[in-house]
Amino acid sequence: MSTATIPRIFTRLAHHLLKPGPPYRCLSCSRLLAQQEQIPKQDTPNSTTHFGFETVPSSSKQSRVANVFTSVASSYDTMNDLMSVGTHRLWKDYFVRSINPGIRNSGEEKGQGQGQGQTILDIAGGTGDIAFRMLEHCTAINNDHTSKIIVSDINPDMLAEGKRRARAGGYEQSGRLSWMEANAEDLSEVENNSIDLYTVAFGIRNFTHKDIALREAFRVLKPGGVFACLEFSKVNNRLFEAVYKRWSFGAIPLIGQLVAGDRESYQYLVESIERFPRQEEWKGMIEEAGFLVPGGEEGKGWDNLMGGIACVHKGMKPLR
Amino acid sequence: MLVTRPLHVFLRHPANLRSSLVWQCIRDYHSYEHEAPFPFAPTEDAILSAALSHVPTHGFSINALTQGARDAGYLDISTNLFPTGAFSIVRYHLVSQRLALAKHASSLQPQVDITANIATLALHRLHANKPIIHRWQEALALLSTARHLATSIRELALLSDELLFLAGSTTVTSSWYTNRAALAAVYASAELFMTQDTSKGFVETEEFLTRRLEEGEKVRGGLDMFGKWVGMQAGGLVDGLRSKGIWV
Repeated sequence: MSTATIPRIFTRLAHHLLKPGPPYRCLSCSRLLAQQEQIPKQDTPNSTTHFGFETVPSSSKQSRVANVFTSVASSYDTMNDLMSVGTHRLWKDYFVRSINPGIRNSGEEKGQGQGQGQTILDIAGGTGDIAFRMLEHCTAINNDHTSKIIVSDINPDMLAEGKRRARAGGYEQSGRLSWMEANAEDLSEVENNSIDLYTVAFGIRNFTHKDIALREAFRVLKPGGVFACLEFSKVNNRLFEAVYKRWSFGAIPLIGQLVAGDRESYQYLVESIERFPRQEEWKGMIEEAGFLVPGGEEGKGWDNLMGGIACVHKGMKPLR
Repeated sequence: MLVTRPLHVFLRHPANLRSSLVWQCIRDYHSYEHEAPFPFAPTEDAILSAALSHVPTHGFSINALTQGARDAGYLDISTNLFPTGAFSIVRYHLVSQRLALAKHASSLQPQVDITANIATLALHRLHANKPIIHRWQEALALLSTARHLATSIRELALLSDELLFLAGSTTVTSSWYTNRAALAAVYASAELFMTQDTSKGFVETEEFLTRRLEEGEKVRGGLDMFGKWVGMQAGGLVDGLRSKGIWV
């Protein structure tokens, strides 16, 4: 080793240890400046969250999600049918059937029944897909004509779409539906311990703070009340996953572009599905919020649909 | 091996819920010193035991489960805690009655006669079905559905194992398996017989059970003798061949 190299090594080492970060290069001044600008941005108290694969400030996620849903509200059904090849209807049917909302023969029996129906809160249910199904299930299966459903959505356009459908489908006359424009992370309009069933179908993925929304759900539910969530999840079969990924990243944005004329919104959709926590992790978050998760020996605590493309998670608020 | 949840899982839960998680640990060996934890969490236990008391009127149905939830102070919707619905009441009955056998077994005289002990225990277990016998066919129907068949067979195997263990059977040969299989078959048929039994105090079921167990003994004796005979003949054959100079 020549004597000249040793000091050079030391210089490099010192440079490495003392000044981490990109080396100063005259030609890349602007890049350096840009990086220096970015670093304090992350350190500010304004935390960031993900919007699809992008990282955005938490404060702006809500409005960006709102934009997505405003732009897809009108073509919502067509798009859902095309993207899921019609199976989203089956999933929603299954979801409602497995929950079995409504009190059997409510209003008829006096001694045994509690005399009144359930109060159901359907979060992110703007278009009423789940609400109408639950209403039908209550009436047709359980002969319950008293249970009430509050449909809540953060997006007025989606709510308007739901109201239009409620009128068209004849659900509005029942007087059992009510509409509420609210953020699921702040349900201050809803009292503590007042809800029997809290449902959220394909919505919780878009929430900025899922843990806060879960705690809010825990707050509004009566002891013994149930939190039920239908959401896209992770496919458990490798081969099927490859096909599914190809479909969701290749075909869905393309269908969005062709049918709804909006590629970005559907690009966001598939990216947000990818970012949603795995089944185990999501179950952990539900338990963390204080819910008792069903399952035990027979189940895992969730219910995979179509190999895990969608997944039903439930939790019950304990008495004490 | 004692399988409990890792510590961080406990700590993640609110303090008031942690105690209920301790119940969920699983132990896959038998300990004479420590009682095994009850396999149902306190909440499940409360709802299911209340539901079971409604079975004589409502049957093994989601109705009974709903009534049970109401009795335990929960809501109708709380039945979502049981994904298998009415079957969870059946399973609760099977598991709790199986575990209750251990208490009864302490009254037995040890090492008297294993067959007699088995008969006493099996009869005791059958009598536990008395209050719900008129609804038991519903349970059998649920138990035999494809979705629940694996659980049912497992539960029957566990019951058969429990009966033999409590009766004092200590075999470690291949008869460990045949004994359990035979007892499972006898018990299942006796249970089915009991649903049709109209005699007072289910004497006919008792007779049926005794007959089947006796038959089992006879078959086992016969098989033993046949096995011995085959062994003797084979030995004789080998000896004969060897005497003829064949290298066996």
